Amino acid sequence: MKKKNFGGLDKIIPWRRLEYKDREKVMQNLASHEDWKSCFSEVAPGLLLFARQWVQSAADAEDIVQEAFIKFWRRNHKIQNRALLYAAVRSIALDFIRRDSRRARREATAVGETNEFIEPQFEFEDDTQRALAEAIDVLPCEQREVLVMKIWNELTFAEIAGALGISQNTAASRYRYALAALRNMLQPQ
Amino acid sequence: MNDLSEIENELRKLRPARPSPILFERIEEAMMDRRAGASHARQPARLPYNRLSLGFGLAAAAVLVLFAAVNMERRQERGEKIAQNSPAPETRPVLPAPRGESEITRSTFSNEFVPAGATRLVYNTRDEGLQFARGSGQPLRRLRYQTHETWQWRNPTTGASLRVSYPSEEVVLIPVSGQ
Repeated sequence: MKKKNFGGLDKIIPWRRLEYKDREKVMQNLASHEDWKSCFSEVAPGLLLFARQWVQSAADAEDIVQEAFIKFWRRNHKIQNRALLYAAVRSIALDFIRRDSRRARREATAVGETNEFIEPQFEFEDDTQRALAEAIDVLPCEQREVLVMKIWNELTFAEIAGALGISQNTAASRYRYALAALRNMLQPQ
Repeated sequence: MNDLSEIENELRKLRPARPSPILFERIEEAMMDRRAGASHARQPARLPYNRLSLGFGLAAAAVLVLFAAVNMERRQERGEKIAQNSPAPETRPVLPAPRGESEITRSTFSNEFVPAGATRLVYNTRDEGLQFARGSGQPLRRLRYQTHETWQWRNPTTGASLRVSYPSEEVVLIPVSGQ
């Protein structure tokens, strides 16, 4: 699998799965204005992935995440309000789409013509992972956003429900539907 | 269900793409800006003071507008009275009136306003240069005067006076002679 060379990224803490206590610590730091860089490097990949559910370009997703993170940081929110960070990303992304609908249409057309311009949302290690990522792209938006929040952002169903303004049951069922759809897509015929 | 947990595990192995290092720099800059903005905001109660002065200013402006409106109404009423009363001298009979009419005529006289003065204050003169009038070969100097004119009337009987002021602008063309 071709590995990409990200210049200067060695400064950033590598993405890793956090234990619940670690996450809590990270988010408490996030809310207490201490070392925002380490906090952000922990949450940024998941947040960017979440933002990219609405925008094609990685640069646009970064703009959205930046705005949401600064808002969250400035308002000094705590771990209990973590869903607010995702709700902010979602809301800013939707505003961005409304604001920039013409550009988005143009981009969508261009993207339809040449797929190679889309920056990948994941770092693949093999073809199985690539196929899995492609399958995720095909999922309905409401299932995909729940999946992204649950798997790569490690939100609870209660937090997902809070961020999306839906019930916990709906969040859980969307998650299950997403997993079932992926399983069906990846099953050998 | 077992199948679902398998796919879940596969998904967990996927790593989301990492953000660009520029994003960190941009956020850092934005944080610095915010902090600078916040420290400005913390300066001694400037905003409430501004609001207070704005409030006073608006209240004063409202009072002035009300005062001007009331004044205008009064002037209009007076103007109507003058308009009603002014024809009186013209219709005044030359011959002595009969007994019954004399009282009415006297009361009309008591409401009569007579011109008491007029002033014209030129507060700005602008020389707009030489010009040629249409069909004329002689140059003209064009001067623009901005003035404030005031007319005053006085009722000799009651001592009441009325004053009307208005701004005006006058353009004067002066022929320039070459000799």
